[in-house]
Amino acid sequence: MKRYSDLEYLRLSKLQKFLYRLGSFLCSIPVAVWHGIKKLGLAIWGFIKGIGLSVAEVVTTFKYGSKPTRLSYFIMGAGCFAHGQILRGILFLLFEAVFVFYMITTGSYWLSMLPSLGILGPTEEKKLIPELGMSVKTTVYHDNSFKIMLYGVLTIFFIIAFIYTWWVNIRQSKTAEKILASGKKLKSGKDDLRSLVDDSFHKTLLALPMTGIIVFTVMPIVFMMLVAFTNYDGSHNGYSNNLFHWVGLDNFNTMLSWTSNTGAGTQSYAATFGEVLTWTLIWAFFATFTNYFLGMMVAMAINKKGIRFKKGWRTILVMTIAIPQFISLLYVSKMFAKNGLINNFLIDMKWIETALPFFEKASWARVTVILINIWIGIPYLMLTATGILMNIPQDLYESAKIDGASGWQQYSKITLPYMLFVTGPYLLTQFTGNMNNFNVIFLLTGGAPNNPAASNSAGTVGYTDLLITWLFKITTGAESQYYLASVVGIMVFVVVALITLVAYSLLPSIKNEEDFQ
Amino acid sequence: MSDVKVQKAMKQHMGLTASRRISNTAIYIVLTIMSVIWLIPFVCIVLQSFRVESTWQVGYVIPRQWGWDNYVNLAKTDFWRWYTNTFILAILTAALQTIIVLCMSYTLSRFRFKMRKPLMKLMLVLGLFPGMMTMIILYRVLADLGLTQKNSIPGLLLVYVASSGMGYYVSKGFFDTISKSLDEAARVDGANRFKVLVKIILPMSKPIVIYTVLTAFMGPWGDFVFARYISMGTSAGKNVAVGMYDWLSQDQIGKNYTMFCAGGVLVALPVTLLFLFLQRYYVEGVTNGAVKG
Amino acid sequence: MAAISLKGVKKIYDNKVVAVHDFDLDIKDKEFVVFVGPSGCGKSTTLRMIAGLEDISEGTISIDGVVVNDLQPKDRDIAMVFQNYALYPHMTVYDNIAFSLRLKKVPEDEVYEKVTNAAEILGITQYLMRKPRALSGGQRQRVAIGRAMVRNSKVFLMDEPLSNLDAKLRNQMRAEIILLRQKLDTTFVYVTHDQTEAMTLGDRIVIMQDGYIEQVGTPTEVFDMPANKFVAEFIGAPKMNMIDTRLTRMGDSYMVSPFGVNLFVEGEKKNLLLKNDVQTQKITLGVRPEHMTLLPAPAPDAIPCTLQVNEMMGSELHLHAVTEDGSRLIARVPTLSLTLAQRESLKAGKTLYLTFDSRVMHFFGEDGVSLLSDADYRRQLEIKKENQKQEIIDALASSDKSYNEIMSFLLGTKK
Repeated sequence: MKRYSDLEYLRLSKLQKFLYRLGSFLCSIPVAVWHGIKKLGLAIWGFIKGIGLSVAEVVTTFKYGSKPTRLSYFIMGAGCFAHGQILRGILFLLFEAVFVFYMITTGSYWLSMLPSLGILGPTEEKKLIPELGMSVKTTVYHDNSFKIMLYGVLTIFFIIAFIYTWWVNIRQSKTAEKILASGKKLKSGKDDLRSLVDDSFHKTLLALPMTGIIVFTVMPIVFMMLVAFTNYDGSHNGYSNNLFHWVGLDNFNTMLSWTSNTGAGTQSYAATFGEVLTWTLIWAFFATFTNYFLGMMVAMAINKKGIRFKKGWRTILVMTIAIPQFISLLYVSKMFAKNGLINNFLIDMKWIETALPFFEKASWARVTVILINIWIGIPYLMLTATGILMNIPQDLYESAKIDGASGWQQYSKITLPYMLFVTGPYLLTQFTGNMNNFNVIFLLTGGAPNNPAASNSAGTVGYTDLLITWLFKITTGAESQYYLASVVGIMVFVVVALITLVAYSLLPSIKNEEDFQ
Repeated sequence: MSDVKVQKAMKQHMGLTASRRISNTAIYIVLTIMSVIWLIPFVCIVLQSFRVESTWQVGYVIPRQWGWDNYVNLAKTDFWRWYTNTFILAILTAALQTIIVLCMSYTLSRFRFKMRKPLMKLMLVLGLFPGMMTMIILYRVLADLGLTQKNSIPGLLLVYVASSGMGYYVSKGFFDTISKSLDEAARVDGANRFKVLVKIILPMSKPIVIYTVLTAFMGPWGDFVFARYISMGTSAGKNVAVGMYDWLSQDQIGKNYTMFCAGGVLVALPVTLLFLFLQRYYVEGVTNGAVKG
Repeated sequence: MAAISLKGVKKIYDNKVVAVHDFDLDIKDKEFVVFVGPSGCGKSTTLRMIAGLEDISEGTISIDGVVVNDLQPKDRDIAMVFQNYALYPHMTVYDNIAFSLRLKKVPEDEVYEKVTNAAEILGITQYLMRKPRALSGGQRQRVAIGRAMVRNSKVFLMDEPLSNLDAKLRNQMRAEIILLRQKLDTTFVYVTHDQTEAMTLGDRIVIMQDGYIEQVGTPTEVFDMPANKFVAEFIGAPKMNMIDTRLTRMGDSYMVSPFGVNLFVEGEKKNLLLKNDVQTQKITLGVRPEHMTLLPAPAPDAIPCTLQVNEMMGSELHLHAVTEDGSRLIARVPTLSLTLAQRESLKAGKTLYLTFDSRVMHFFGEDGVSLLSDADYRRQLEIKKENQKQEIIDALASSDKSYNEIMSFLLGTKK
């Protein structure tokens, strides 16, 4: 594409300018994606390089290091003891002891079972029961695939943590020697403890939240991603019926295959996935932008000079945020139901004869859901927009008025660009949030109406189902196909991550934060 | 200025006020209609909770026979048990989650350490995974710990609080607006980092603390999916959302519709009241969060 | 009692930007030292390193002979006043000033005594129960100073304390800081971008640019003997006139020829040139505007030029003129030295005849360094710059080297 210089660009006609900008925007998408990939690649390369550097350092330190340092390769904390840092030494040694103990007692079992996820499933055995004096058939449970996978992953985490600590232990010994050689004093145990409320206070503060996140978010996500490569489902629950095993990329093949005989209903999984994804994107687009523009308009209306009871109007709308969504959404969904308040009312008034199919027909249901979502979303957007509108410097409007701008021009040339600029990242999170907006869809329609071509005994798929509600249905469906749910989850992540990546590299407010300040 | 000019200017002035009046009237009409639409469902819930003559959905709003029957009937179900469950859960969540969120956001706002950026990126990426995905494993882990079904309330608390550190954006945005030189001044004055937090930053952070408490308190009242999954099979471990959900299922709605309304009113009451009093802080937080992204 | 010594102090940020290069300075006990320079010159960073608010990348800072590199700010026994005052908004003025004392667990009676005492000195007694937001800028500044005062610390650091005040208040506070200094009698390090503040407050001034020290000296030294063009232009307002010309040596006498006018160098400056054995060369000639003389009529040693703007400053006139070849010159003329008629006639377009004394001339070589300054100093400067260049090259090379080593280690190509 031809690049214009600034002066050349200024000479273009309006249409040419628009086309040029559209063109350069489209051209910048692949570049942005490429930059993202490159950055990722560089990060990975940096990581590998870092590990390489550390390995090299460990080897050279062992060759040339002092005795205590070399001893700490085997007995962690030896260096610390030698340099008089007793507290650190004890901690290192304790950690090593715990690690070795764990690995010997249970860790090695989990780790060795991880490749197979268990060998022996439950068996039927005859057991002699002394009270009865006869043997009874009972089920005896052996390996537990679920636990093997869970604790296997945990063990790997633990091993990584151990290697890191081991490395830190060596480094500390080395730097301690350097410090001593330069004639300075080392930190004592007391100093270490004191620094926990001072220069290392961040470690203290982060310890609890990060443990929570690692145990209850990172670990489960890693685990569930692994599930996508197994056949874990209701009939292979890994314990009480059948063990489950690694199946490689089979599940991804199933999900992405176009042949209909693998499919959920009469159509292939890929087709179903495509349909649900399309609706998810349409939904997210409308849910985000209808709320955004309408919310902004409401905020501007309330903030308009001369409008009274500003606080009153705002409070009425904000009140609806306070009421838990499950009440308001469930109630509204029943209002619109076939025999709900609205239909009953309309029939009683003799305005219609048969109930309106708010949730019964695909297109009706989709529109209804979007409209009800506006009802849910406007208060939030109104609040946000109010805050930002108040932040727009008044002198911008004053100078625009002096320049002769009409009300509409002030809106389109000042308010809107300012809002879009400031709320760019917010819009992005709204969009991805709406893609995963489980509550609204689940409480309003539960995915209905049913899409017969995509549904089967393992789970139904409806026309208003988002990927996230579909995932939920697969999980809780009759066959509990956890592996498929996991595949869908990973795909949702891929889609959301792609959108985020592209948006982040295109959003002006992220690229140059200072423009509007 | 000649008379003609003055007249013309006055005319323009009049025109301006007239057109403003018209547009303002239009806005009033729109706002009134909106307020009605936004309030109707809530008014309906309240009115129908007092309806005695029938328990199913009907085509009118104002009850023909008023009474407390639906509220009295709630006591015959497990409603109050669910209610207590949720209330305790909400209070504990509010307390613990606030501490975690503040720790996280304060650290990320104030300290510059090597892992800061990678941590923030990690949390961004983690946030892109659908939370629903991890439900199964969390369920199994909680089941192993004995924190499901009857004991699902402590289980829920653990899950809510444990990953709450990820929601640090809004309060970090707030802390970022507090000038760093205050920290520095205090440190020069002889405070360690802990004292800086306790004596300088926290006393200044009332709005964001209240915002965090408020949102944390509101969460458990509405949580539905996970709570339902881990309390499956018992009534004792349910929260209000899970318990009341069934009342509107196909086979129960005819019997329990008005009771649902009564329960809904009782659930909405504490949250709404709290919200009304603390609305200012909530509004500040929402706005702040959007601008900071 | 506190002498501060900075040795080879360097600040390198994470993004490899070097904010301060090899900073060497010995601050004597009870000295008032001012760091001055344009924004981004590293003056605040240096001060914050002394305070312990920034890590020191290289070198050592010691206070009273104790290396403080690894000490937390609270353990350094310093007091600091911030540019934006940094008053704790949720505390009253009294609590603000008492904060540090209470952290030290000083008994309340003593706290009361010290705080009221400081408030008395600063004239803020009637505001003690107010919150900072109810105070004006000047009052806030006093509170900030009061907070630093009560600590009785060895070192008093001030980071642009006056730059948020308006011009009038600034002058007043400047005078008060001088008074304060007489009362407190400790070591002061003061950072500012305003050369007037630097000149009026400092015992010694450290002029910085781009992380380098350009010159260290008393106000008189830096004004009379600027070490280089940067210092010459930075100190004094309006800034020094710089004229590109030639310095000609004829035996033991020197001549400059600005705009074709030949002027001989006489007196002390000539001796200095001789001492440094300066030869004929291209130079930049510097003359301060206040040293320009306005002649009533053409003369052999007068530079003819055209007046463009005449700024009436009250006690003096600033005349902006342009010479025939387009160079700009500024002259500062005392108002009273001209008659009313003469002043009236100074309109744009009028031809002026400007001249100056050889005693007030400054000579800068092509590298911008003053030809009058010590030969030793010049040589040192050369060496330092050379070293720094080499260091950067070395750093680049060494990072490459370690990288290569590791790669060869990983790939197994090392013998």
